[in-house]
Amino acid sequence: MKRYIYINHDDLAQDLYCDNRISNRKYTLWNFLPKNLWEQFSRFMNQYFLLIACLQLWSLITPVNPASTWGPLIFIFAVSATKEAWDDYNRYLSDKKANEKEVWVVRQGVKKLIQSQDIHVGNIVWLRENDEVPCDLVLLGTADPQGICYVETAALDGETDLKTRVIPSASMGIDFELLHKIKGVIECPSPDKDIRRFDANLRLFPPFLDNDMCPLTIKNTLLQSCYLRNTEWACGVAVYTGNETKLGMSRGIAEPKLTAVDAMIDKLTGAIFVFQIVVVIVLGIAGNIWKNTEAKKQWYVEYPNESPWYELLIIPLRFELLCSIMIPISIKVSLDLVKSLYAKFIDWDDQMVDLETRIRSHATNTAISEDLGQVEYILTDKTGTLTENKMIFKRCCIRGTFYGNENGDALSDAELLNAVSTGSTDVIQFLKVMAICNTVVPIQSNTGVISYKAQSQDEEALVRAAASLHMVFVNKNGNVLEINFNGLLLRYEVLDILEFTSDRKRMSVVVKCCLSGKIYLLSKGADEAILPLARSGQQTRTFSEAVEQYAQLGLRTLCLASRELDDDEYREWSLMFKEANSKLVDREWRVAEVCQRLEHDFEILGVAAIEDRLQDGVPETISTLRKAGINFWMLTGDKQNTAIQIALSCNFVSPEPKGQLLLLSGKTEDEVCRSLERVLLTMRITNTEPKDVAFVVDGWALEIALKHYRKAFTELAILSRTAICCRVTPSQKAQLVELLKSCDYRTLAIGDGGNDVRMIQQADIGVGISGREGLQAARAADYSIGKFRFLTRLILVHGRYSYNRTAFLSQYSFYKSLLICFIQIFFSFISGVSGTSLFNSVSLMAYNVFYTSIPVLVSVLDKDLSENTVMQHPQILFYCQAGRLLNPSTFAGWFGRALFHAIVVFVITIHSFVFEKSEMEEVSMVALSGCIWLQAFVVALETNSFTILQHLAIWGNLVAFYAINLIVSAIPSSEMHTIMFRLCRQPLYWTTIILITMAGMGPVLALKYFRYTYRSSKINILQQAERLGGPILSLGNIESQSRSLEKDISPLSISQPKNRNPVYEPLLSDSPSATRRSIGPGTPFDFFQSQTRLSSTYMRNSKDN
Amino acid sequence: MALEPEYSPSDGRKWTETESWPKEQNGLTWMEKFTQQELPACKPILTPGLVITTLISIGIIFVPIGLGSLSASEHVVEIIDRYDDACVPSNGDDEAAKSERLSFIQNVKTNKTCIRNLVIPKKMKHPIYVYYQLDNFYQNHRRYVKSRSDRQYQSPRFERETKTCDPESEIDDHTPIVPCGLVAWSLFNDTYRISTENDPIPINKKDIAWQSDKNSKFGSNVYPKNFQKQDPVGGGKLNESLPLSEQEDLLVWMRTAALPNFRKLYGRIETDLEANENITVVIQNNYNTYSFDSKKQLVLSTTTWIGGKNDFLGKAYITVGGICLFLAIAFILTYVIKPRPLGDPAYLSWNLNSKER
Repeated sequence: MKRYIYINHDDLAQDLYCDNRISNRKYTLWNFLPKNLWEQFSRFMNQYFLLIACLQLWSLITPVNPASTWGPLIFIFAVSATKEAWDDYNRYLSDKKANEKEVWVVRQGVKKLIQSQDIHVGNIVWLRENDEVPCDLVLLGTADPQGICYVETAALDGETDLKTRVIPSASMGIDFELLHKIKGVIECPSPDKDIRRFDANLRLFPPFLDNDMCPLTIKNTLLQSCYLRNTEWACGVAVYTGNETKLGMSRGIAEPKLTAVDAMIDKLTGAIFVFQIVVVIVLGIAGNIWKNTEAKKQWYVEYPNESPWYELLIIPLRFELLCSIMIPISIKVSLDLVKSLYAKFIDWDDQMVDLETRIRSHATNTAISEDLGQVEYILTDKTGTLTENKMIFKRCCIRGTFYGNENGDALSDAELLNAVSTGSTDVIQFLKVMAICNTVVPIQSNTGVISYKAQSQDEEALVRAAASLHMVFVNKNGNVLEINFNGLLLRYEVLDILEFTSDRKRMSVVVKCCLSGKIYLLSKGADEAILPLARSGQQTRTFSEAVEQYAQLGLRTLCLASRELDDDEYREWSLMFKEANSKLVDREWRVAEVCQRLEHDFEILGVAAIEDRLQDGVPETISTLRKAGINFWMLTGDKQNTAIQIALSCNFVSPEPKGQLLLLSGKTEDEVCRSLERVLLTMRITNTEPKDVAFVVDGWALEIALKHYRKAFTELAILSRTAICCRVTPSQKAQLVELLKSCDYRTLAIGDGGNDVRMIQQADIGVGISGREGLQAARAADYSIGKFRFLTRLILVHGRYSYNRTAFLSQYSFYKSLLICFIQIFFSFISGVSGTSLFNSVSLMAYNVFYTSIPVLVSVLDKDLSENTVMQHPQILFYCQAGRLLNPSTFAGWFGRALFHAIVVFVITIHSFVFEKSEMEEVSMVALSGCIWLQAFVVALETNSFTILQHLAIWGNLVAFYAINLIVSAIPSSEMHTIMFRLCRQPLYWTTIILITMAGMGPVLALKYFRYTYRSSKINILQQAERLGGPILSLGNIESQSRSLEKDISPLSISQPKNRNPVYEPLLSDSPSATRRSIGPGTPFDFFQSQTRLSSTYMRNSKDN
Repeated sequence: MALEPEYSPSDGRKWTETESWPKEQNGLTWMEKFTQQELPACKPILTPGLVITTLISIGIIFVPIGLGSLSASEHVVEIIDRYDDACVPSNGDDEAAKSERLSFIQNVKTNKTCIRNLVIPKKMKHPIYVYYQLDNFYQNHRRYVKSRSDRQYQSPRFERETKTCDPESEIDDHTPIVPCGLVAWSLFNDTYRISTENDPIPINKKDIAWQSDKNSKFGSNVYPKNFQKQDPVGGGKLNESLPLSEQEDLLVWMRTAALPNFRKLYGRIETDLEANENITVVIQNNYNTYSFDSKKQLVLSTTTWIGGKNDFLGKAYITVGGICLFLAIAFILTYVIKPRPLGDPAYLSWNLNSKER
């Protein structure tokens, strides 16, 4: 599948491919109604309600006015549809804005300003600095004589650094004016979504250089939604347009996420539906039997002798309609409402505002707050998520001298400053490498302040550090770099750049000093890529020790080296390098090989250590959430040592003897298999011990394990509460999320960069940190927060409350529906099983959508425990995680309560209002009042904290009930005319209502009290402790006591590694034989790790029940 | 006291405190308190004191109310006389007797007068209500209860609105029946005349229907038409010269009962009846309850604040009160014997819990 694009050919291919109209819309004006309805009706509940509503149109079977179902149904659908329409309209507006943006395009050989949507494949598009690229282009020309331009790809992959793009060799050197007339053909693949690949060929037509096919790569493209930076202009030919661009293809409508609570509610709805069908069948059969035996004798009913064929169905269908209220239609509206309020509470929360950036937390997905309270696994990115992603040069070791060890900051180390000012050659050379050996672009603003645009944060940190040590990288003028050292302007001409690749793990530049004419090779890279290449005779021991020491501290290390080159050597090598660079096959490999010929006999200058600081509160957040029984996995693209160090410093894994790290590694299948088995074995053994075992895996081994040993790896994943996955790709991150999800765990993925987007979208809950790597992750996520530590509040406060509130609200909704439905069922036994509705249409509808919905809606303000108590006792989250508050057994409780209350209401009503008082409307109203009173007290009993709003809603609703019914009773045409006035005047009515209320609530209260006091759950105990104001023995106290105890009994275990210097203890050997390595002591071990383990198994067990 | 209003959840916010948004608890507006979920709340908990006090007070209040309503019910004098079996010639249970009863009641020509002698057990003060009671009569049957047209009854304009009245909506030539529907068609038509010795006791049949029905539900200009004019004839007939709003027996009947056993007001006796007085009731036994298993009873009853004679309420009150007292005592005993301090952190040890399990 290929497409051939004829450059600048206005007539050809106009209609072959789509124009550049972007459309993110789900609907059009015409298909909105059918499509939206279709989507809404694909949910079971909606189908059910529609069926019921349709059945009600048949007046023979309908017990009540069809409006009582159609009204709410239409309302619900209208609300959903309006929301969808509004969202779609906003998408349309933003599309329109993008489509109507004006761009310069060559038409008939002349540059014209046209709307972005009119760009066709093959058009030449001109961009100026800071323009957004309107579609995928193949670069043809830039303002830069070298054919280079810079783009910012943040919107595409989340990386905020500048990337260089070059024009293809074929169009190199074409004059600005001639670019208008350029003709040619591009052979490129059909549109796909791979933003890292573009394998195409370009051939220009005469009179332009007509050499062979010119290969094109992704480096020759400008992709849609990137920004052109630091380049005056650039032009390119459109290859993919509209929704067929790389961005457009990768844009998918994310699957709507369903929370565990929703799934449970659906399940319970299903169960109720089955129950309903059973009731309908039983009552239907009973009704038909009664009709045939009894009703035929009741002459006043006047049953006709012959009946239509569907006669047998009529009574069951009547009962179906009568029982249809069992599934509350209001639950969907109520849940939607409270869910959006949960989301609003997150948006409003003042304690989750990033004080530096003033960014508020935001819930993009308003539907999944309950899931936050049920998280079992958190998969976190490292850089930018746990750390701040602010690289700062902290320490260095130059020729065996350590700088910055005393005060932790080399930049303020007097010794180093002194060395710089005295002009120590080693130090100056070191600084020069820092300043020159990079691809940083300095940008001088009008005010003279220099800012740096760098491909990597590390390089930027080095250049900045060099600048603050008076080696200022001032300007890059073509190939000439200008360095200002203490007022002295040094110029260097960059001859070649030996680029960084992940295989080489180093980058080098060849520069010529403009002053002396000497040529230098300057290199920087990972220790293992630089140190072995030292010139013979140079001792590298101090450097490797320095690297170890820095890695121990969680710093990223880079080794710097240089070598002076002979003119001849360089010239010879330069030819090879050019040749290798122009190779079409195996170019990368060849270039690497040639580079290696130059990179040897290094003079090692020193080691630079860069810190990526942990965000505030990360260790506390992680330990709190782990106490809450949440498991953490760290997925990072960073290297193993750094990952482990960060993991240690943020409580991710505990140091020896509590913690233990198992390494899963290997390059081949066999190695991985053996390693995996070993790790699994150890894991199984230690799983019974109160030990905190974590495994470490790198991307390569992970790939093999996931491919060939998925089962074993899954077992490992279940056994292990902690894992560190380093060097993993974005798709591997997503795979790991998928793996945990397939084991039925609730996963939360948190990340900040474009590489986390897939993981975030895959997880049950995606949290994005609106950080330095752009907003890509935050935009794709369900929740965006400013700092990692807000996660505690998000989960423990918002997630937990949301879960509790929804659990109550949904079960209560079923309770009140079942209550009224049971009364209807009981009534059918005294009405000849004929399907008479005791309640009239108005009452039924008002009961469902008004009287019982308003009081329960304010349960969104209910707090069972105060935020502080939860923060102090995060273990309480178990109740949410394990779904203790909403499951079949709690639901059975509510079912039982509904049954009990229905019996109370029904029995008392029909025995109090007997004989001359048994008027239908009156009895119905008494029963309804009984239900209303009971439900008010049920809500009151189940409410943990009463704010003024709750009082208003609960008791105000009761008052409103009477007010509304009195008003309705005053309307002469209503069925209930004068009923309520008559009732309210009777003492019998009030005594009956009080009896119903007390008989209904007394046992419930007594039972609740008994369980509260003698079978209390942890929540109850904490409530009591919190509210009685007694001394709350917080976990802190217990913790400290237990810790001291632990210290007394375990001196043996820590004495052994003590005699070794912790600083030089290697963290984790890379040799495959050393699978189990201990981590040196140093940080206090955490007593509660073990407890969480136990409690988490306990939690799991109870979940299985 | 268990109600402990907690006005500030912000004591001890630990590590968030250092960076928390500048705020003063009292400085927050209501809206801010709402958005931060920090509205002042009262958080009652179920302390033994609260629960036991509640239960005892329910008990203490309920038992006297129960006794009161029981005694009120006791004061009601009620005479119930079942006459349906006595007022027909044959009383057997076999099929032949049944069909004989049926043909007796369905035959218009037979003399259905029936005389019953009753003794007043206790002095009955006026007003004495006269009810007829039907057992096992399903006025709440769906087919029956829906077969009416309130709009037709209200105004002559809606005379033709008989769609809901099937099968008694119109007579053969498609003229509507007024009042239409099964309920009206099956109007109860037994009549009672009461006398002591030889003095007739007048039964006041004025104002036995609801005033609201007379005023608005049934039109004063709607006259019966085509009523009971075709086979089968159901129950009673109506005086075609009186508007529906004045046909009070019909209005009472049209207030359908929710229970299969019901009483409906026939009239009031405005004089006192002395104890041991003999009264004679002359019954026109017209209404057919013989095709199904039913009872017809005549009820004379006085009334009190809770209405007629009904022991249920009193007994239920005493039972509920008793249960509450019993529970309260049980809780007091458990509290004394096996006290369990509330909020004891000893129960909180998460470790302990997992072992227990």
